[in-house]
Amino acid sequence: MDSRAEFEKILEVKNLKTTFKTEEGTLTAVDDVSFNVYKGKTLGIVGESGCGKSVTSLSIMRLIPHPPGKIAGGEILYRGQDLLKFDASQMRSIRGNEISMIFQEPMTSLNPVFTIGNQIREAIGLHQKLSKTEIRDQAVEMLKLVGIPAPEKRVDDYPHQLSGGMRQRIMIAMALSCNPQILIADEPTTALDVTIQAQILELLKELQQKVGMALILITHDLGVVAEMADEVAVMYAGRIVEQGNVREIFREPKMPYTRGLLNSIPIMNKDPTGKMKKKRLQAIPGIVPDLLHLPQGCRFQERCSYVIPECKQQEPDLRVVASHPLMPHKIRCVRNI
Amino acid sequence: MTDKGIALMEQTQEKIDHASDSDILISVNHLVKRFPIKGGLFSREIGSVKAVSDVSFKIRKGETLGLVGESGCGKSTLGRCILRLIEPTSGQMVFKGQDITHLGAADLRKLRRNIQIIFQDPYASLNPRMMVEDLLTEPLVIHKIGKSRQERQARILKLLDMCGLRREAMSRYPHEFSGGQRQRICIARALAVEPEFIVCDEPVSALDVSIQAQIVNLLQDLQKELGLTYLFIAHDLKVVEHISTHVAVMYLGKIVEMSTAEDLYNNPKHPYTQALLSAIPMPDPDYRKKRTILKGDVPSPIHPPSGCQFHPRCPVMRERCKVDVPELRGISHPVSCHFAE
Repeated sequence: MDSRAEFEKILEVKNLKTTFKTEEGTLTAVDDVSFNVYKGKTLGIVGESGCGKSVTSLSIMRLIPHPPGKIAGGEILYRGQDLLKFDASQMRSIRGNEISMIFQEPMTSLNPVFTIGNQIREAIGLHQKLSKTEIRDQAVEMLKLVGIPAPEKRVDDYPHQLSGGMRQRIMIAMALSCNPQILIADEPTTALDVTIQAQILELLKELQQKVGMALILITHDLGVVAEMADEVAVMYAGRIVEQGNVREIFREPKMPYTRGLLNSIPIMNKDPTGKMKKKRLQAIPGIVPDLLHLPQGCRFQERCSYVIPECKQQEPDLRVVASHPLMPHKIRCVRNI
Repeated sequence: MTDKGIALMEQTQEKIDHASDSDILISVNHLVKRFPIKGGLFSREIGSVKAVSDVSFKIRKGETLGLVGESGCGKSTLGRCILRLIEPTSGQMVFKGQDITHLGAADLRKLRRNIQIIFQDPYASLNPRMMVEDLLTEPLVIHKIGKSRQERQARILKLLDMCGLRREAMSRYPHEFSGGQRQRICIARALAVEPEFIVCDEPVSALDVSIQAQIVNLLQDLQKELGLTYLFIAHDLKVVEHISTHVAVMYLGKIVEMSTAEDLYNNPKHPYTQALLSAIPMPDPDYRKKRTILKGDVPSPIHPPSGCQFHPRCPVMRERCKVDVPELRGISHPVSCHFAE
């Protein structure tokens, strides 16, 4: 552990492997994924649908439905203790208390027949020994923290009475009600409009500074990652294919897939002279491979424009290309481009 | 909007394009769509929502008008009104010189050979029980295109090729395809009747980033090849800037600003447009800009705010905004704000 408090490692995921049984065979949704999470820092996990980013987060929370899912290997060390060895009741004391999670769809994550106050109080009551009035006060306090106007009144509202942005704020309030050390946010702004997205991201940044929690942000939006994350892990077909500190990844992406993703985004014109150059988007050809029928060698080879015969023989290891005290730049690619 | 406002708007558009009126493919004038709210005893009408309120614009042949705004601003309703999938309450729509606002069923069918639509969700817009061949043959049969089965089949093969799908796709069902490929099928189906104008209602919003780029490129290639005109509805401002020649910003059923894409993105005048643009997260960790974060949510269109509808969220609101309704007025381009300069 780093001696400086600001770089305190609180979560270490080592060689995580999560599998799902299907009728056609067992597929590995998360394959040999390792990363560290530091106190007060943000790790962004990016990738397209089906790349395993959500399964990674659900594995950390031990929320993988079993069967068909199974955490088949690896370690998840929270403050040095392996969460995978915890029993159900130990895990309950971690979930929501030490590690919290917010999901993409705030409507389906809230219970429509209970008031929001009721739902926040449930989380607090489960983990903290407080009296009823104390719990109620804290629920109101949480609503105030996430910027809900008139929290004393809102606490008695039902989810359907709130807008999408408000519901996501409620989710954040619930997730933060027990002062967790780690917040996992799985596509927290994907269902929201861009102006509301800006509000929620701002709120998350502000709360992170105030509370000092670590944030694992899962998203497909590279813009959101660039803005929020300190470290980025890019996932493709169950693997981390590139990892490093945010500047390194956006300045010098080394893995062809990351480059492809960045080139797929239409860049907003920043030219001060006002002349717009509309270049054709450089799309990545083809589609993500089927996890049940992965090609031999590199998983990205079929869509890669830098492919060489070597790529088809053996899957490359994640290797360090630029050192950094905490967040070295690693890629899973044999080429040096 | 007053006639004066429209005149100004036309002037600015002409100034921008130097083109004659004969190029105008579709024009929408003072379009209004009001949805009644029913309730109480015997489902009386107890109120109404103005989903689209007094919207006017023109699109020239071969151009793309991008329509942006937050959810619930009426952009999809507007798109559907143009196809008459939703009947507008008042206003007028003119397509190639013909008033299409009150066309009867037979004429409407003919019109839809010329105007087609692509929807957001390619999963929901393809019948899961029909093979791709049948999906693409259906519009040909309805519009009596192609004399024989062979002729139709040849045409379908050409369409598949144009949209980047293999010929084996013909005998497959929608569930066998990925999201991007399904959207290609939807595009092929829209193109089957050789339309001139396509309403694209959030065509890439449900797709992954790398697939989004493929579809955007496809739409642009087809536009060039076939001389198509698009109304491109989306909430992703980056994609809209990329694909559009002109952009209109909607807020609570009204167009609040409209210009060429270049002008609007470089020189936004309305505080709402400015806030929207500043809210876009940029894929560049060092890009720190001054961000205007709008407070609160979009107000309910059932009880829209008085005066300027944007005033409760506006960062530069003044007293006058609470009372006076701003009209679209030309500055360098049409803007509906009292204080934009």
